[in-house]
Amino acid sequence: MIEIEHLTKRYGKKTAVDDLTFSVKPGVVTGFLGPNGAGKSTTMRAIVGLDAPTSGLARVNGKHYSEFRSPLTEVGALLEAKSVHAGRSAYNHLLALARTHGIPKRRVREVIDLVGLHDVAGKRVGGFSLGMGQRLGIAVALLGDPAVLILDEPVNGLDPDGVKWIRLLLKGLAAEGRTVFLSSHLMSELAQTAEHLVVIGQGRLLADTTVEDFVSGNGESRVRVVSPEAAQLAELLAGPGVSISSPEKGVLEVSGTEAAVVGQTAAAHGLVLHELRTDRGSLEDAFMQLTADAVEYRQSMEGANR
Amino acid sequence: MTAAVMTDRPTAYTPPGDYKLSAAGLLRSEWTKLWSLRSTWIVLLCAVVFSAGLGALIAGSIPDDQAVGGAETAIGASMSGVALASVFVAVLAILTVTGEYSTGSIRSTMTAAPKRLGVLFAKAAVYGAVVGVLFTVMVFITFFLTQALFGDNGLGGLSLSDDGVLQALLGYGAMIVYLALLALGIGAILRNSAGSIGFYIGVIMILPQLATLLPWNWVSDVTPYAPGNVANTITLVDPSGQALGVGESWLWMGIWLVVTYGLAGLLLKRRDV
Ligand SMILES: Nc1ncnc2c1ncn2[C@@H]1O[C@H](COP(=O)(O)OP(=O)(O)O)[C@@H](O)[C@H]1O
Ligand SMILES: [Mg+2]
Repeated sequence: MIEIEHLTKRYGKKTAVDDLTFSVKPGVVTGFLGPNGAGKSTTMRAIVGLDAPTSGLARVNGKHYSEFRSPLTEVGALLEAKSVHAGRSAYNHLLALARTHGIPKRRVREVIDLVGLHDVAGKRVGGFSLGMGQRLGIAVALLGDPAVLILDEPVNGLDPDGVKWIRLLLKGLAAEGRTVFLSSHLMSELAQTAEHLVVIGQGRLLADTTVEDFVSGNGESRVRVVSPEAAQLAELLAGPGVSISSPEKGVLEVSGTEAAVVGQTAAAHGLVLHELRTDRGSLEDAFMQLTADAVEYRQSMEGANR
Repeated sequence: MTAAVMTDRPTAYTPPGDYKLSAAGLLRSEWTKLWSLRSTWIVLLCAVVFSAGLGALIAGSIPDDQAVGGAETAIGASMSGVALASVFVAVLAILTVTGEYSTGSIRSTMTAAPKRLGVLFAKAAVYGAVVGVLFTVMVFITFFLTQALFGDNGLGGLSLSDDGVLQALLGYGAMIVYLALLALGIGAILRNSAGSIGFYIGVIMILPQLATLLPWNWVSDVTPYAPGNVANTITLVDPSGQALGVGESWLWMGIWLVVTYGLAGLLLKRRDV
């Protein structure tokens, strides 16, 4: 369980996180979505105590992170920026961290195998690709077998196999009852992994909901009708709150009503339908719609400052 | 579907209880970090070769009929390499901290030890101990080597049991440890490699020497108390007549370390990583 309460973080005049309140529950994968610069990484750094909040607080399982007697077994974190000395081998990086907690070498080798770095564990991290660095970061996060996992853009730089692998891994970890919180600036990366979603823009909370509700609640849903008697149907459907367009002859796109209403109307008047379908806005659309305001706001502010 | 997922949701996972963050763990971690970097081996090897090498070179180049003599001159000449090697040791001390900031590994370090201060003290303890052991050994090796090379001139023939010799040799070892700890603390305050090395060499090493050239008398009254100078007395065979006595020398080393680590600790707690 991660609890963020009225968290605000300013860097000089720049407000990176603005009065953010939400919680992340165990047992499901929670996605943390927001465009670049929204404040995701800042929030995550605040959770593990690297950045001190300007006001408000971040707690894990009821405690401030620094109060834990064994932080690595409570929270495993993959942070966005590089957090490894380039001159050290992957094995020694993990070993140095393991030793702080008395975690045995056996566990170090275990996580190395788990993330698939066995063959390069003795090599200096400086020569690692982005994907290998990401795998090492995941190994670090898993080292203490923690109850809470915080992963900042973990998919970044991973190949398609790696992406599939991490999805299964995270879902499995959540199914064991762990709290899994991962960020991304792309809805598509979270759609297949996360069940719950916290969306921020400009450091402010935009949505805290299930992926399902997020899409149906914000995505534009339209009814698409194909009918030889489209023009007649359009007249019958017209009313307040309903907008109808016809992208091509015999096809209607109706919003502001539901497929059931369209079907009943057609039946009542004996009109023939060839197709009747509800088009949900995609997850990405929904996200775009939610963040568009925030992004526009920033752009206009930047424009004004210039 | 959603309802099923809700009821199937497992109870919260409990982490394994047998791992604990500890002071001993932090020390072992810093030991691993120190020796797992190639730069440590290279710099310490250079420092060791330099200590004995420069001493031997100087000792070997003094002709037998040279009119110089005395234990003070002999030890000073023998240990000139050791004194210069302290610069290598100080630079490596700085890098053990600033290297973590420049590479970002400090974020891993501080997530493992979020109280932070333990990391600073573990770093200082491990590095101080390594330097202390290594250079105490080097000081004695260099002493015996140079004594053998001095031969028949007035600098040879010293023994450890001669007045003040053992004390001066141990003083060199202690001075190097003090300077290493001072440099490490400066690295923790400034966090930046170039800035810290520049500060150490410019402000700690060179500035007090330059200041004595100034025409005001009070400057030479103050310079013995400068952080880079307070250890000088303990390296002398005969420390009488120095601005700082042996006891004061130790006291001021303590004062400067407390000031440096007090500030470093305060900033470490306050600043974002
Ligand atoms: N250490 C810092 N100093 C100054 N500004 C920062 C710092 N870290 C982040 N910011 C700013 O705060 C905002 C949020 O950044 P970040 O948390 O990295 O966003 P995200 O991870 O969502 O892309 C950005 O505008 C960024 O420039
Ligand atoms: Mg980020």
